Amino acid sequence: MNLPDRPITILIAALGGEGGGVMADWLIDASAQCGFPAQSTSIPGVAQRTGATTYYLEVFPATVSQLNGRQPVFSLTASPGNVDIMVASELIEAGRAMQNGFVNPERTTLIASTHRIYATIEKMQMADGRFDSSRVVDAGRQLAKQAILFDMRKLAEDSGTVINAVLFGAMAGSGALPLTREACEQAIRGGGRGAEASLRGFTSGFDIAAGAHPTPQSPAPPKHASEIGEIMRLGIERLTDYQGAAYADLFLERMKFFQDKDKKLSSETARHLALWMAYEDIIRVADLKTRASRFERVRKEVGAKEGEPVVVIDFLKPGIEELASLLPHFLGKRLISWAQARGKLDAYNIGMHIKTSGVFGYLMVRSLAWLKPWRPHSFRYQEEQEMIEHWLARVAEAAQRSPALALEVAQCATLLKGYGETHRRGKANFLALMDALVDNPATADTVEQAGAIRKAREAALADPEGKALGGALGKPVTWLKQVGRT
Amino acid sequence: MERSFKKEVELLKLGDGETFHGEGILAVTKALLQSGVAYVGGYQGAPVSHVMDVLNDARDILDDLGVHVETNANEAGAAAMLGASINYPIRGAVAFKSTVGTNVASDALSNLASAGVRGGALVVLGEDYGEGSSIIQERSHAFAMKSQMWLLDPRPNLPKIVEMVEKGFELSEASNTPVMLELRIRACHVHGTFTTKKNLGSKNSKKNPIAEPDFDFGRISLPPATYAQEKHKIEVRWPAAVAFIRKNKLNEVFAGAMSDTGIVCQGGMYNAVIRALQLLGLADAFGATRVPIYCMNVAYPMIPEETVAFCADKKRVLVVEEGQPAFIEDALQAALRRADANLTKVHGKDMLPLGGEYTGEVVLTGISRFLNRDVEINAVKKLKTRATELLGTVPARPPGFCVGCPERPVFAAMKVAEKATGAFHISADIGCHTFATLPPFNIGHTVLGYGLGLASNSAVDTMFGKRTLTIMGDGGFWHNGLTSGIANSVFNKDDGILVIMKNGYSSATGTQELPSSPQHSESKSDDMAIERALAGVGVGWVKTVDNYRVGDVAKVLKDAMSTEYKGLKVIIAEGECQLERQRKLRPVVAKQLSEGKRTIKVKYGVDEDTCTGDHSCIRLSGCPTLTIKDNPDPLRRDPVATVIDGCVGCGLCGENAHAAVLCPSFYRAEIIQNPGFFDKALNKLRNAFRGTTIHQRN
Ligand code: SF4
Repeated sequence: MNLPDRPITILIAALGGEGGGVMADWLIDASAQCGFPAQSTSIPGVAQRTGATTYYLEVFPATVSQLNGRQPVFSLTASPGNVDIMVASELIEAGRAMQNGFVNPERTTLIASTHRIYATIEKMQMADGRFDSSRVVDAGRQLAKQAILFDMRKLAEDSGTVINAVLFGAMAGSGALPLTREACEQAIRGGGRGAEASLRGFTSGFDIAAGAHPTPQSPAPPKHASEIGEIMRLGIERLTDYQGAAYADLFLERMKFFQDKDKKLSSETARHLALWMAYEDIIRVADLKTRASRFERVRKEVGAKEGEPVVVIDFLKPGIEELASLLPHFLGKRLISWAQARGKLDAYNIGMHIKTSGVFGYLMVRSLAWLKPWRPHSFRYQEEQEMIEHWLARVAEAAQRSPALALEVAQCATLLKGYGETHRRGKANFLALMDALVDNPATADTVEQAGAIRKAREAALADPEGKALGGALGKPVTWLKQVGRT
Repeated sequence: MERSFKKEVELLKLGDGETFHGEGILAVTKALLQSGVAYVGGYQGAPVSHVMDVLNDARDILDDLGVHVETNANEAGAAAMLGASINYPIRGAVAFKSTVGTNVASDALSNLASAGVRGGALVVLGEDYGEGSSIIQERSHAFAMKSQMWLLDPRPNLPKIVEMVEKGFELSEASNTPVMLELRIRACHVHGTFTTKKNLGSKNSKKNPIAEPDFDFGRISLPPATYAQEKHKIEVRWPAAVAFIRKNKLNEVFAGAMSDTGIVCQGGMYNAVIRALQLLGLADAFGATRVPIYCMNVAYPMIPEETVAFCADKKRVLVVEEGQPAFIEDALQAALRRADANLTKVHGKDMLPLGGEYTGEVVLTGISRFLNRDVEINAVKKLKTRATELLGTVPARPPGFCVGCPERPVFAAMKVAEKATGAFHISADIGCHTFATLPPFNIGHTVLGYGLGLASNSAVDTMFGKRTLTIMGDGGFWHNGLTSGIANSVFNKDDGILVIMKNGYSSATGTQELPSSPQHSESKSDDMAIERALAGVGVGWVKTVDNYRVGDVAKVLKDAMSTEYKGLKVIIAEGECQLERQRKLRPVVAKQLSEGKRTIKVKYGVDEDTCTGDHSCIRLSGCPTLTIKDNPDPLRRDPVATVIDGCVGCGLCGENAHAAVLCPSFYRAEIIQNPGFFDKALNKLRNAFRGTTIHQRN
């Protein structure tokens, strides 16, 4: 017989703790069952602590007797362009593999799960730092000879097993693996514990890759409202729930000016306005935390089974700000300025673990929610409304000059996020930005001004704590210097 | 221990003519036994951690053979242990990570190499170089050269590795010189087969005691003996080694038809060279090559007779030598010059990169350049460019703290404390805690070596108007930190602050036991407390904190910063390594559940409707199970935080929310599995509120 002139090469990209090593063992075992010489290597070092890591295998698809004493020389590292089967247990790892040249249109079968496990660097951004998944999927379809891409984590969960079994099944089902299905299954069985579940996962992966079952579609991401009508409807709904019909009317009233303006501008302004008007004060939080729907959601999220009671403990740490926000305006203002002057804003917070699912805890939190009718008389309410009016007026003014500029001004409301110190910092950034770039712009050119606002906003979102860490509250953040004030 | 080798150690019992299937590092261990070692030891560290793990799991087998196993305190201790082979004809081996371990060991190695050995002494070096490495990138080769120890670098397949271990002992004895065997990380973890031999007992061992001590001043490192030893190295041991290597053909020549060209490579590079030639159509899958290869399974010393002969009819040779400086290339140049063989042009680092791992791709690129065949490479380049066009740069994913890691909260506390005290200088150390230098924490200004955190802080501490902070793990503490750091700091009346991460294990290397581990295997003494050691060296200010109480930890940090107390202040940050904790907990919980016993499962969560998507909690945690998801609110755009399956309920999320006054979105859920009568009754009472006027319905 003619011996094959090269081994089949398999590169597995996984994250530490995902069972990539077990999969490599299965492959070695299955190769042995088929009588093929094979070799695997890995670099487990510290990468196994949640980082990205790889396993590399070569299988020589000829039996020992066919080889008649000859020994193939196996490589210990994958070389770009020369990988037959590229396996990635997570989507970005598939992207990384492509970036490193391991996916070759003439040769490579790409098998990857489409789910995402976000890298720290993606998660920690103030706004949305996630890499666009669709780019990886598109690149995979273009760069691979055959691309088998679907959410294997979901399939693994459904089969009550781990992802490596599904990936292994998909490899076997893809037809790119020179090993028989029986040998693969035998290898799993030989692995002992959990073999039954692994075999289930293997079968489901195999069937999809082999085309016996359709590729499962990932559920569509939650819908974002972008059309003005829908946003207005949602806004009215939310604000009615937040403070009653009169408050929703105020929203409508405020939006009047924008009705016939640029579509994008009016919808974005409405969106930000609705969110801002429904600002998260302690009353709102208490209200949301004590709804029946919330307890149902918690049960679902933590995976409680029927009949298993779930105790929910909330972490609240109200302090001077929260107290002041509830006081009448003149009192609240005094308290805040007193605390600010002494740097005591965070000094008297009381950390509370409240068992909101318990009778007393529930009543305690619920009673805060009952303060709703008082809200319009509170310090925070008046402060927020003032700021909203100011911001809205600036958006409206800008709209007269240029819708694009107005849109940038409107978007600045994204800086107002979070609670406590995060919120304070966001607010300080917001005010500084409005002051320097909207109220006192260095340029009369609207395009330039819009660009400067966008840049500053993005900078503030990119590294919210870093820049402000050493500096005192309210000090202009560094990016303001570059813009300069006239 | 992170991984158990109870099953694999059975392979160590294989006898003559049987087949071993398994990992490289296990094959090395088997080879040691086939060589009749009397003692083994070492210090853990990737990629040779498994040697120590295997040895510890194989105690019964080793006891039967009379082999002594020592878990050494550090690499210096391991190397010093080889002193047993100086006077007595017994074989011994130790393993550690290189070059960091070799650095630590080099005092003992110098002395050992100078005195010379009667029994074979082998140092197995796990090379952590290149992709995924966690250490500085240097060569072990330099150590071999400076101490004149022989350096083996076998072709990375199991039969060759095993053969070189066996030959290594013979070489060591034939030349009275300790021998090093370097194994790259992938070779350590390579899975393959070889035909075994039966294990040999040592002539002298635990079972057959040495009768009389042997005194010989000539083996002491004191003048004038040291002068004689140096002479002996040059005049006797070196020639003996060269003769042995030549006679036993430890280096290999693979002939090829292209007789005017050749490749000289380290043994460890051989497979990459063959693969490159194969891709260029110059070799087949079985290693039959058209380009002649001289494969140096002995990387040091070079055998000039062999290299000169190999180059004799060649116009050009390429040296494939991983790492820098290019010792082999330079030695080859010198050898040819000395032999007046000036017709061969030697290439090496002009075709291949000076530094960095020689992966298949790198070697292929270099060899194609050498042979003027760049076509193969262009295709690969195009592939990468195309991918970059389509993808841009995908986010990096460095290693980090595990789910629920007890070290994470300490760094969160440092961030909280810094808000009050202002930023302070932090001298970091080696261990899992070094991950704090990465996002989201970016904590730690310098790293100077294992256990050296406090020592590295001694000058910088005096250069600030306020106190600085040092981090040390319990691994580093026992490795040398107690003496080089703590005792020294007390002695010099330094005013620093030291945080000792007491997670109970040498976690970064695979959760091996430490003297202060919470429980010990039979072969280890227990009850060695860090606290008593500190008291013993006179530390007067010691506070122990529970890591997960972020607020308390931050407070103690602030106290340490401001206290009147002058002198070393030690904060013991206690929290068991979550990997080990879960490993112990899992079977207990499973058993409880299956027996129908009441069990509380804790998981943290984030309320998606109060989360505003600012992610400040993530910037203070980085826990893999605290992540983000699409915002379910149609009006919002930015993703919200969420806790996914796998959260071990360590509590940090709630603590951070409090300590940093983050937000009210976090909750702790206690799921009562197998609820009792009382639970059910209470639940009923609570549910009675459902649908009443005070209960918000939607
Ligand atoms: S409580 Fe938070 S930090 Fe702890 S394991 Fe769960 S998600 Fe991770």
